[in-house]
Amino acid sequence: MAALPRRIIKETQRLMQEPVPGISAVPDDSNARYFHVIVTGPEDSPFEGGLFKLELFLPEDYPMSAPKVRFITKIYHPNIDRLGRICLDILKDKWSPALQIRTVLLSIQALLSAPNPDDPLANDVAELWKVNESEAIRNAKEWTRRYAMGN
Amino acid sequence: MSLNERVQEELEALEAILMDDISIIYNENGCPELVKSTIFPSTANEVDKQYVCVTLEAKLPDGYPDCEPIVQLRNPRGLDDSTINNLYEAIKEKCSEFLGQPVIFELIEIIRESLTESNLPTCQCAVCLYGFSDGDSFTKTKCFHYFHSYCLANHLITTKRHFQEEQDKLPAWQKSTKGFQASCPVCREHINCDVEELSSAAPPKELENAQNFEVTSDLRHLQERMKQLFTYQKSRGGIIDIEAEENKLLLITESNGDTPPADNTEDPGPSLSNINESVMGDGLLSRGQRYNNCRLNSSGR
Repeated sequence: MAALPRRIIKETQRLMQEPVPGISAVPDDSNARYFHVIVTGPEDSPFEGGLFKLELFLPEDYPMSAPKVRFITKIYHPNIDRLGRICLDILKDKWSPALQIRTVLLSIQALLSAPNPDDPLANDVAELWKVNESEAIRNAKEWTRRYAMGN
Repeated sequence: MSLNERVQEELEALEAILMDDISIIYNENGCPELVKSTIFPSTANEVDKQYVCVTLEAKLPDGYPDCEPIVQLRNPRGLDDSTINNLYEAIKEKCSEFLGQPVIFELIEIIRESLTESNLPTCQCAVCLYGFSDGDSFTKTKCFHYFHSYCLANHLITTKRHFQEEQDKLPAWQKSTKGFQASCPVCREHINCDVEELSSAAPPKELENAQNFEVTSDLRHLQERMKQLFTYQKSRGGIIDIEAEENKLLLITESNGDTPPADNTEDPGPSLSNINESVMGDGLLSRGQRYNNCRLNSSGR
């Protein structure tokens, strides 16, 4: 593989030196473009107390193209599907090279605080979120408790 | 002359000198309370060569000029924190030196002098995250954001290509009629640049001495924590099993039956081939398309 671009090295160093509260991202041993990520569930959201594992991959032409991000821990959320894929504009057509790994992960954390069932990726979850929000929130809490706890 | 008349006189003089470059805000009693001016370096009216700017806001308390104005610097462009802090220091000094006399024009002058002296952005290029060294070719957008010409050209070429690729996928009636519009990476304001000229620029200097990536002990520690969490959540059935989810979805259309979860105990790997084929690349996309088909089929029944 070609040498790692300096921007990626700089971002990695900053993530280590000035970590974002509630978020950690660590490059993999054998591939510095692949990051293991933990996002903590935001306070006052049904995901509070959860530690969500994600994977983040920086494609060859990063930062010109968006990182590819996916949840690895199961999560009950209208904008995240069963495969962990995330519906978020900045990961698609609204990507800009002025965004960074840290800003992307902060946006994902913000998405946990503000689910948007009108732009769903997981149809069944979004449906319930719209017709019976309190039951959907109960489910999200239950999934967080069952799947996203730390040891 | 009363205090009020002295202030009135100072403001009239400022308006005469600065004309449209200054705005004065009056309170409901008709007394001036705020003076605002956006300051640029002196470049003999060559607007293209003004690379930095800042807006001065001076609140005039009752009793000005016998007490100091309250000064704020807003919307700095191309200036880093230490430059701004130095300006605040100089402003403070000037204000106490001029206590009892009109000071606004003096403040504008010291800010302008400082901007003229360092008319080179002290911020970072938002694309490569490195600074601007002497000799680097850089560009200022109309919205006062700074990029190495090399980096901005890269952005413009890639976004145009992405736009074209998306357009090619759409049926004719959905295609955009407007064509590609470039935008600023920082604020998304529309920009118009000569890509050819920009792309002839050399890469930024700081980028050239590439440094190697090193795995530190902190990093090892974090990697270990990640692994432990994965194993723990895995043992509680909390990890998404792509293989099993796919089988489940395929079965929805066939029998609606349950699928035994596949036994996948490995942390989804970091190797490139793994990522491309199973987790993040086209493989997942095609799964996604099948997923959508299944949903449609099953809800249609």
